[in-house]
Amino acid sequence: MAGIWIFAEKREQALELLNIGRRLAAKTGTAVSALLPGNPDAARDYIAHGADEVLLLPPLAADQSCEAYLPVIVEEAKTADPDVFLCAATPRGKELAARIAARLETGLCSSCIALNYDEGGKNLEMERIAYGGAAIQKVTCLTRPVMATIPPRTFEPVTAEAGREGHIRKLPAPPPSRVRVLERKVRTRETRDITEAKVVIAVGRGFEKPEDLALARQLADALGGEIGCTRPISEENHWLPQELCIGLSGIQIKPDLYLGLGVSGQIQHVTGIRNAKVIAAVNKDENAPIFGVADFGIVGDLYDAAPKLLQELKRGS
Amino acid sequence: MPTIIACFKWVIDEAYIRRGFSGDLDFSSVDYKISDYDRNAIEEAVRLKGSHGGSVIAMTVGTPEATKGVKDALSRGPDQACFIADADFNKLEPSQTAAILADVIRSRIVNYDLILCGEGSSDLYAQQVGARLAEHLEIPCISFVQKVDIDGGQVVAERRVEEGIEIVAAPLPALVTVLPEINVPRIPGVKDTLTASKKPVMTIRKGDLAPLGGARLQTVGMTAARMDRICEKFGTEAAEITRFVDALRKKAVIS
Repeated sequence: MAGIWIFAEKREQALELLNIGRRLAAKTGTAVSALLPGNPDAARDYIAHGADEVLLLPPLAADQSCEAYLPVIVEEAKTADPDVFLCAATPRGKELAARIAARLETGLCSSCIALNYDEGGKNLEMERIAYGGAAIQKVTCLTRPVMATIPPRTFEPVTAEAGREGHIRKLPAPPPSRVRVLERKVRTRETRDITEAKVVIAVGRGFEKPEDLALARQLADALGGEIGCTRPISEENHWLPQELCIGLSGIQIKPDLYLGLGVSGQIQHVTGIRNAKVIAAVNKDENAPIFGVADFGIVGDLYDAAPKLLQELKRGS
Repeated sequence: MPTIIACFKWVIDEAYIRRGFSGDLDFSSVDYKISDYDRNAIEEAVRLKGSHGGSVIAMTVGTPEATKGVKDALSRGPDQACFIADADFNKLEPSQTAAILADVIRSRIVNYDLILCGEGSSDLYAQQVGARLAEHLEIPCISFVQKVDIDGGQVVAERRVEEGIEIVAAPLPALVTVLPEINVPRIPGVKDTLTASKKPVMTIRKGDLAPLGGARLQTVGMTAARMDRICEKFGTEAAEITRFVDALRKKAVIS
């Protein structure tokens, strides 16, 4: 069955891909097939959420990871010949997609943030971010299937529809991958998930000492928000955990309010906040790039401005 | 003792790109650099050589101008470089770059043990060349790696995944793509630069390669990213702070 294929490691990502899949399938009059790794019980759920066909990938041995599915997915794709193949842009999803594309000898649009058929309805035009966030690159794929990886939370999840029907088919078990998992360390979240926060206070290099982060926390508490940071804060200073690092190579957020404290506004970081409703910033350097992408900017030392802001917020509420 | 190949790309430093008046990209005053994460790949290759011996080959595909990048790479510790150059090589898409690298590695580097690549290039950040190269060479691929070592005939790596970290092993030869957390790349000194100019460079031209396949991905537009924001500035005096908070309240983003 030619049509739209989707692959995601997790359900929430699959629902986002199904949303795009349904839209593209409606345009081209084709069907949506979802690859489902591991748990076959979710097949009905995927059908309710827009899959016309669910291809079950059998559970893997303990020392195997999802790249093991590569040969099975490639064989099935060669037979079914889908028009479009979308994968969630998680670390393993990105690697798997690039390797599938290599084996199918096709092109892949990595970290695609928008995709639409052109006027003729023939070519799928896909957009992605390039040059660290400075540019938007638009690409088309000249070979079949058209492949793209989609960053999680770029699109809304699809809603379930009652009475939908679909096929469920089991794919064969793959041979063991040469890459064996020796150990898994599940990350224990030290913090709450800031991708859902309405207000995010971002900590930048303007902070001099880790103790001073209390200023950011107080502001976050006053506004009912969470704190995040720029790459140097998590990766070089290790003042905050890596999962709070906002940017192209970290997390992308879309809060109502982003407030950067001592954030210079390097393009890689700004790319992670481009979908914020309002961007505000405090920086003592009047020429900091953050002011070029902020709605409201306070030019001043954060050590001076943040306590005043806190006071004003307490006064007004 | 292992032979390690570190792949790198000589790219436009994105910090110098300006937005043109009509929303186009102004490349008129750009400088070039070794792509950020590729510096980590080179550093890690040299570090592994330090503990296991062997040799490191720095390899790049690019335009003849990338010769500056080859010198830069060699000043970071590799023993030799392999420079695949052609004036047309500024428009390659990932599938083509991977095919060229695979062709050269297969035909000219007989016994290699490990290939290191950066997780993605600073210019296009497609994150495909490493994984595609591994497929062409039919060797195991481990991506998003923040720690790596060679242990006998296998590579052991810590890679980042959705849920946390996986420690994985694969038989050599293998390909690993690295994250910037893996090390801090050195800043080459004057002596390193002088030594670099004496190291051997194998230059390969387009004509020495198997015919290049067509692009599978076509760039149909490249425009400056738009961030249409109000860009209003405030001071730190009491009245200004009040005005700032009022502005946020008017936008209904705070209560």
